Amino acid sequence: MRVIIIGGGPAGYVGALKAARLGAEVIVVEDTEVGGTCLNRGCIPTKTLIASSEILHKVRNSADYGIDLNGTVSPNIQKIIERKNKVVSTQVKGIRSLFKSWGVNIIEGKGILLSPERVEVEKRDGTREVINADRIIIATGSRPAQIPTFPFDGERILSSDDALNIKEIPKSLLIVGAGVIGCEFACIFSELGTDVTIVEMLPRAVSTEDFEISELLERELKKKKIKLLTGVSVNRVEGSKDGMHAYLSDGKEIMTEKILVSIGRALNSEGIGLEAVGIQRGSRGEIVVNDRMETNISGIYAAGDVTGGILLAHVASKEGIVAAINACGGEAKIDYSVIPAAIFTSPEIASVGLREHQASERGMKIRTGHFQFRALGKAHAMGEITGFVKIIADAENDRILGAHIIGPHASDLIHEIAVAIKAGLRVKDIADTIHAHPTLSEGIMEASEDVHGGAIHVPKR
Amino acid sequence: MNPENLKYHKEHTWVRVSGKRATVGITDHAQEALGDIVYIDLPEVDSTVEANTEFAEIESTKATSSVISPVSGTVIEVNEDLAESPEVINEDPYGKGWIAVIEMDNESELEDLMDASEYENYLEEEGK
Repeated sequence: MRVIIIGGGPAGYVGALKAARLGAEVIVVEDTEVGGTCLNRGCIPTKTLIASSEILHKVRNSADYGIDLNGTVSPNIQKIIERKNKVVSTQVKGIRSLFKSWGVNIIEGKGILLSPERVEVEKRDGTREVINADRIIIATGSRPAQIPTFPFDGERILSSDDALNIKEIPKSLLIVGAGVIGCEFACIFSELGTDVTIVEMLPRAVSTEDFEISELLERELKKKKIKLLTGVSVNRVEGSKDGMHAYLSDGKEIMTEKILVSIGRALNSEGIGLEAVGIQRGSRGEIVVNDRMETNISGIYAAGDVTGGILLAHVASKEGIVAAINACGGEAKIDYSVIPAAIFTSPEIASVGLREHQASERGMKIRTGHFQFRALGKAHAMGEITGFVKIIADAENDRILGAHIIGPHASDLIHEIAVAIKAGLRVKDIADTIHAHPTLSEGIMEASEDVHGGAIHVPKR
Repeated sequence: MNPENLKYHKEHTWVRVSGKRATVGITDHAQEALGDIVYIDLPEVDSTVEANTEFAEIESTKATSSVISPVSGTVIEVNEDLAESPEVINEDPYGKGWIAVIEMDNESELEDLMDASEYENYLEEEGK
């Protein structure tokens, strides 16, 4: 059995390893670098920049921790980017060595479908090679979406890809879009010393999150002196010798050195031969798949961003695994019921399950519990007291439906609730479990208690 | 002691009236209950506020808490110094710790507020 996987990102490379473990001969066709957007231009590089900006923040506030610093503190962007590149290349090597150990072959070039059994690879040196396959998994991913009236130029109008490779810290930056990517970059650049303004068309920042999470993040952005303008869009942009002028839909004009456009992702479903083979696509260009990750053409599967569902690396990887199992003759279905997600702003945000407004829209009777990190000794010891845990439970059977955390280590804390939801646990199960002291996890226990008004470390109401 | 020349709201805010201008802050009892104040989310100048609703939010090391406006009107001035030094509210709640000046559009609302001795009785009752 030979499986060809087009695209070596989180869906493709994980699917490749899974298929290899199941005994298939696997070839990954990758036109840039294994690891995809996530490793090369997304999750991992942003987290290394965030690590640098967090260190900067801690050092700048060292006096609060009783540390005297004699001298100046300043970010060196060249070294920060070098460190990022090193972290990325170490991880890339890691995937390549896993491939080697499992016998997965990489062909470097762009994969184009010729038929359900044949893929043509346009190699970097211009030569072409046609390879035969028993099964094909399409995992070509996505790229930053751009605004047609002011497309990326890599110099003054940046994509998130460009922003990860800047050579100088801009004095000012206008970020178009207050979603996950926009807000993460806003926190990074603001710490590096850039004057940041975010423009968002929707009424709130991180609009896919629970309302209370958006509210607190907006206040934290304000504390950092990041200006957030909601309910407005950028109509047009003009460059001059003093910088860029952005003209907003409310008539205002913003002067800025650079513009970062983070309005979402465009799917890589063009120019890969989908038409030739007759693969069905949806209205956004996404490849239509069923819960076995099968396309409408027998023997061809698709996984990850190109299928247009939930554009998260960990979802893509799971889809890649499901596609690989089915391609190798097994039986697997994708289950989207519990998907934790994290936003690495400062403070961090994490969520799983229902938002409060979603529960109300569905007419569900719910109870919520809240707990502020500032009521925990550990948060004070760490000097990070901002944020809260919010738990949403079914009022009728006490089952946990969702959780929303903003605060220190939110992205690590959320998984306790993910497991609880997956296992169908009740709020009482969490509340009755002894949580170690002093930890931030106590916040999850207390928020669970608070669903029934029983949290210990809150004043009498 | 709570100054005699101020009016008090049951949500622990005070108001100092001068014509149509009402300077608003939180009471000594409120700052004491909140503990060390680390941030205040100030209202925007020119925004309108309604009596008995939140018009600012205070974060202390213990809690985050709404500041309830004692009067309705338009915010004409905010205490910008609090953005950098919110602890001034703890140090001088009736003086340098003022929060905003509201131009009242319904002065009769002042009649619903307490004077200093009424507020002290109210605190005693609430504490029981």
